[in-house]
Amino acid sequence: MIDNELLNFIKRTVTKFLMEDYMPFPVNRSVCSEWANGMNIKKGLSEVVLFTGCSYQLAELGKKFDDILPSLARFKGIERFSSFAKAFYKPRNERANKILRNIAYLLKNSGVDFSYYEDEPYSGTILLELGMLDEFKQYAEKLVNFFVARGVKKIITVDPHTHYTLYRIKELNPSWNVNIVNYYELIKGAKAEGTYVFHDSCLYSRFLGMRDTIREVIKGSGIELKEDEMVTGKETSMCCGGPLAPINKDVSDKIARNRAEALKNVHNKVLLACPFCYANLSPYVEAYDFAEVVKIE
Amino acid sequence: MSNNKDWDIAIKRGVEHNIPRVFKVLREHPYLEDLARKVREGKLEVLSNLDHYIDMTIKAVEKIGGKAYFAENAEQAREIVGKIVGSKKRIVLGKSMVAYEVGLRKYLQSLDNEVWETDLGELLIQFADEPPSHIIAPAVHMTRERIRELIKEKLNIDPGDKHEDIVKVAREFLRQKFLTADIGITGANAVAADSGSIVLVENEGNIRMTSVVPPVHISITGVEKILPNLEYALYEALVQAAYAGLYPPTYINVTSGPSSTGDVEQKRVSPAHGPKEFHLVLVDNGRRKANEDNVLREALLCIRCGRCHFHCPVYRVLDGKWGDPPYSGPMGAMWSGVVYNDYKPSLMCTHAGNCREVCPMKINIPKVLEYLKHKYYTNGTKQ
Repeated sequence: MIDNELLNFIKRTVTKFLMEDYMPFPVNRSVCSEWANGMNIKKGLSEVVLFTGCSYQLAELGKKFDDILPSLARFKGIERFSSFAKAFYKPRNERANKILRNIAYLLKNSGVDFSYYEDEPYSGTILLELGMLDEFKQYAEKLVNFFVARGVKKIITVDPHTHYTLYRIKELNPSWNVNIVNYYELIKGAKAEGTYVFHDSCLYSRFLGMRDTIREVIKGSGIELKEDEMVTGKETSMCCGGPLAPINKDVSDKIARNRAEALKNVHNKVLLACPFCYANLSPYVEAYDFAEVVKIE
Repeated sequence: MSNNKDWDIAIKRGVEHNIPRVFKVLREHPYLEDLARKVREGKLEVLSNLDHYIDMTIKAVEKIGGKAYFAENAEQAREIVGKIVGSKKRIVLGKSMVAYEVGLRKYLQSLDNEVWETDLGELLIQFADEPPSHIIAPAVHMTRERIRELIKEKLNIDPGDKHEDIVKVAREFLRQKFLTADIGITGANAVAADSGSIVLVENEGNIRMTSVVPPVHISITGVEKILPNLEYALYEALVQAAYAGLYPPTYINVTSGPSSTGDVEQKRVSPAHGPKEFHLVLVDNGRRKANEDNVLREALLCIRCGRCHFHCPVYRVLDGKWGDPPYSGPMGAMWSGVVYNDYKPSLMCTHAGNCREVCPMKINIPKVLEYLKHKYYTNGTKQ
């Protein structure tokens, strides 16, 4: 069920890339901030920063990485080769960029003042997801130093994994003086339409206490949500399977198919709020992120 | 992973029957949440001074005419029970996860005893010679179609396709075993430290028969099942039944030593109609070590209601084979670490968090599993 060699490979390579270049895969770091091109958002030092954690930008790529992991793990010396690749490899993800731009518009329209970083680091969530806590602590320290050096007092997150990761980093570093807020807590007057069933992110719903906040924003926008106690309840809404993908792709896929089937029985259009849920569920069901169906004027 | 259509059908049916029923029970009896909170408090009280409560329990059992034993590990537990039982006996077993954990049925069979599981699910597991797939519903992986075939094969009787008729055939088979058994062995849902009583909750009536009809009753259970007193132990039974979805439970059995009567001049004498001997075997097997660890201690609060299994996306796709038997599902991934030092099952947790939401003991299961993942990376696991 679990391939030890594969796990060791992930542990070794992901940690190496993160510690060397703040990215989990050999990818050019500029992919994290290209969404902001042409948006006239402040760059660099600022007390309030919009931090994407690179989740939306890497979710689809991560899925591809999960697909090829078993063969990569058997490829001796791949780590050395990959170090060169990261400087050149710049996957473009228009959907992720659109979602992030929409989020930035929503924040601006709500009167929120913020900046962003062109050299934005990855959040480190994969280490936490896999339970590699020693490596996570090591990376967390690096990330705290990154933010402290830039004088950050408030971090705005856009996805549940980055938000939860920062929450856990703060737990590890209680003296880190920072306020972590999610964009759903800040936006006002978002408008959208249509009928959907909402697939809750496990982290937002059950670990971060944001279930009601997010539903209020979505329903307040004009969207009608179909509910079913057995499918969309706090205790019954299931994981998309994403966190297991690097460990066991088959189990991860089956969880995703089960979840998609259950959601389809409630409504054919699924709304969600997490890039990894989208990556896992969209092959099996018509799925949309809230930030891509919201109207931007 | 399950490529087994039987599992997909069986677990879907199990989930659809169980989850709404538990919701309904909890809505209709809101006091159950208070009782669950008290049980957690009681268990934490015991765990904070476990050796003291083990000692107190042993003395209390002896005071009421029973015999009590402490087993450090599975081997000691088997030996203790083996000595009480001897050989060439007929034994009826009430479902006990600890009995499974220490390998009791097969050990007693190896001593030339005839041993029968009496819980229907467990009997089916015995017939099929398979590990259980759920902590309280051990045969949840079998559809009724498969169960029909199994009974046909083992008992040469075709029970038909109806749930009721399958149960009837099992009842007729087991009744004769109950009435002729030399020894009854059960587990315990809770043990009261003050009175030495054990509390068992059930619906089938098999535990009642197992613990009353044969002349000797042996209860085998983990030390974490001790509660400070009989009041808390009774609460545990109510809470376990409710969160398992069968409430009110058909039977709650309280056993305090061998049978007795006070009808002749009010002098309490033993035995009366029930067993003339009562033995309690308290098993450690990793529990006290886990109790010394602040994170793993949480696992010891588990009351084995099995609710977390049905709410877990991973358990639902893994064919009941997540964790080391009999410990399956999210709680099983924790308990594989507690009793078998096997941390690998924890790696399959997706931290969906549903288990934590529905746990009556409020165990932060994902947190415990994250901790076990960390132990896996740092300490390795059993080979």
